[in-house]
Amino acid sequence: MRQSFFRRFLQTQFSTKALVLIPIAVGINLIGGTLSSTLKLPLFLDMIGTVLIACLAGPWVAALCGLATNLFLSIVTNPVFLPFAIVSVLCGLVTGYMVKAGLFKNGFGVVITWLACTLTNAISAALITIFVYGGATGINSSSLFTAALIATTKEIMLSVFSTSILENLIDKGIVFLIAYWLVKKIPRRFSSQYAPLDKDYLLLKSRKGS
Amino acid sequence: METIDNSIAVLVRNINPITKLLIVFCLGIGCLIYPLPFVGYGILCLLVILGILIGQGKQVLKLIAGFGIPVTLMLLFIQGLYSPKNITMIADFGFAQMGLEGTMYALKISSTLLIFLAAFYLMLQTTKNSETVAALTQSGLNTKIGYLILASLNVVPQMQRKVKVIQEAQESRGVEISGSFIQRAKAFLPLIGPVVLSSLTDAQERGMTLEIRGFGINGDKPTSYIKVETTSLDIVLRIIAICFLISSLIPRLL
Amino acid sequence: MTSTLIQVSHFSYRYNQESEVALKNVHLEVAAGEFVAMIGANGSGKSTLCNALVGLIPNYFVGYSEGRITVDGKDTASVSVGELSQTIGLVFQNPFNQLSYTADTVAEELAYGLGNRGVPRDEMFSKIKKIAELMQIDELLDKNPLELSGGQVQRVALASAIILEPKILVLDECTTQLDPIGSEQIMDIIKKLNESGITIVMVDHDMERVAELADKVYVLQHGSIVLGGTPEEVFCSPQLAEFSVSPPDYYEITKNVIQPGYREKDFALTESQAIALLQEVLYEDRNQEPQA
Repeated sequence: MRQSFFRRFLQTQFSTKALVLIPIAVGINLIGGTLSSTLKLPLFLDMIGTVLIACLAGPWVAALCGLATNLFLSIVTNPVFLPFAIVSVLCGLVTGYMVKAGLFKNGFGVVITWLACTLTNAISAALITIFVYGGATGINSSSLFTAALIATTKEIMLSVFSTSILENLIDKGIVFLIAYWLVKKIPRRFSSQYAPLDKDYLLLKSRKGS
Repeated sequence: METIDNSIAVLVRNINPITKLLIVFCLGIGCLIYPLPFVGYGILCLLVILGILIGQGKQVLKLIAGFGIPVTLMLLFIQGLYSPKNITMIADFGFAQMGLEGTMYALKISSTLLIFLAAFYLMLQTTKNSETVAALTQSGLNTKIGYLILASLNVVPQMQRKVKVIQEAQESRGVEISGSFIQRAKAFLPLIGPVVLSSLTDAQERGMTLEIRGFGINGDKPTSYIKVETTSLDIVLRIIAICFLISSLIPRLL
Repeated sequence: MTSTLIQVSHFSYRYNQESEVALKNVHLEVAAGEFVAMIGANGSGKSTLCNALVGLIPNYFVGYSEGRITVDGKDTASVSVGELSQTIGLVFQNPFNQLSYTADTVAEELAYGLGNRGVPRDEMFSKIKKIAELMQIDELLDKNPLELSGGQVQRVALASAIILEPKILVLDECTTQLDPIGSEQIMDIIKKLNESGITIVMVDHDMERVAELADKVYVLQHGSIVLGGTPEEVFCSPQLAEFSVSPPDYYEITKNVIQPGYREKDFALTESQAIALLQEVLYEDRNQEPQA
């Protein structure tokens, strides 16, 4: 029963057209790493592709894209990234549903999406850092910052969480800025293939003279 | 994947990918369950020896040193000095005291991480990704998931090469070195943008290709060019791995 | 008697959210074994027609269609693209978008389409061997497809289509991104395939090639077929320039060299025709016998 539900879910949500976007979006996510090293930022910027895919193909494809990104990172770089897949999946879902609600059309909506995504990421990442890794993962320089905070505040939970919020505000801010800039540049001929069917039944807008 | 042709490397390479995955999983989880961290470090030593035997010793040690030492120190600092679970103090650094409970916890986390890291690394070095996915698909993994894993592993490096070319061109023109953050962003983004967009629109034709090649046409029962065999060695190894996992539970239950 | 393999009946198409129609009332028949060329300016609907022939329209692309297309008796709207590709194959422009991205070697790439259809492993080997010889990619079988040149990948793409043994092959500008040598190699193979009985539908901008290879030529403009017939009928049509298509260079050269009415046939379309005609005319002028 569960198997067939899962299969039906896969069939409806993940058409071939949506599926082929995912490896490419994973690539775009990882270009973010190159980008941040070029811009000399101690960040990940690893969600640009997920945001783009959320705009095109919806929350569940974005969630799967997040999962695939972390799976890729854990296979190629370091298995430490695997538990953080939950974070990426949640961020994909949140961004996808915000976009679906029509929030990615103007600056205000983008800010709301940014804050929602930041909060989701910060909370879930902090929880994983604490409960899976005991406070630090050593995969980025913010671990040092966390350690310093712990030394001054003596509070593991608080320190990890505040590092996470600060890091994510900046990281996701840049991600959403770039993604918003890119979304507007996606050719319409391409994006309309992912959009819902227009309501000018059968042919032909031009025949009706509209 | 490098090709090293000593007999042990060949033996390891011929083990069924599912067996290897099972071993990685059982070792990692088993060490997490064992109450003492020393089992983990013992296993880690065995993994390093295996690495040396198949000609990957240097790389494994580099991986452990590069990632393992900083993360272990960091965890010892955080958990050893500040864990709320600390009751028995074993050392006094003046600004903080080191607790036994936190130290043990830190060592266990770091040993588990390192085992996953080393075991997974050894698996990747001795297994083709396409073999792993073929083995998983033949054991019932959804073909769409199989596609995602393989396509990501193939597409991403291709895109990274494209970006690298742009980046190097920019650096050779001195864009990267000079200028503020804004200037660097202004120089780099207009070049990355088109790469991102053209890669994205490539998806349309790649989807066409998959459809034409009959992707998913046969339900979940495709055949594969790659042959994955399950030998008696695989069965023995699987039993040992599962026994290890079960044995880790015994001290907890007693 | 030749049988009709492709029947396009009053087919129209509009892509989702586009205001312009991509195909307008297209009517077309292709007989078995024919070599058909489609020409026209960019955006005239050639690619859309190709995608419709192989069933990607309406099964993959989103939009509205009217009319009907049958390929070897099958209605393209009622069978899946994967099923149809065993009857009609497609090769298009960008070689690297025609890889599955799941294969480590060319052999695996060729096996991908077979594997999806559940072809047993032993059969794969014999099929791959046969196709690799035909496509001259034997020495590439163990290479990583992503490390090949565009021309090589395009031959792999062609092989991946042919390995399913289709009756028809649709080629949508499949040599446009290749260098002259790569392009020539592909065309040689296509010629051979047509001689072996495979029906070809080719979109191309190289008019010399179209004139040389095609049995029938169709000109598209704004989504409609505006002109059709043998290469001679199409390229000699006075309307041709209206459709942003120019005839082969040989036509212009021979037309300009030979005075109208000087000979019964005062033009040539292909290289061999042009050489023969010019030799004939030149030697006649000097009152000499043409050399063998």
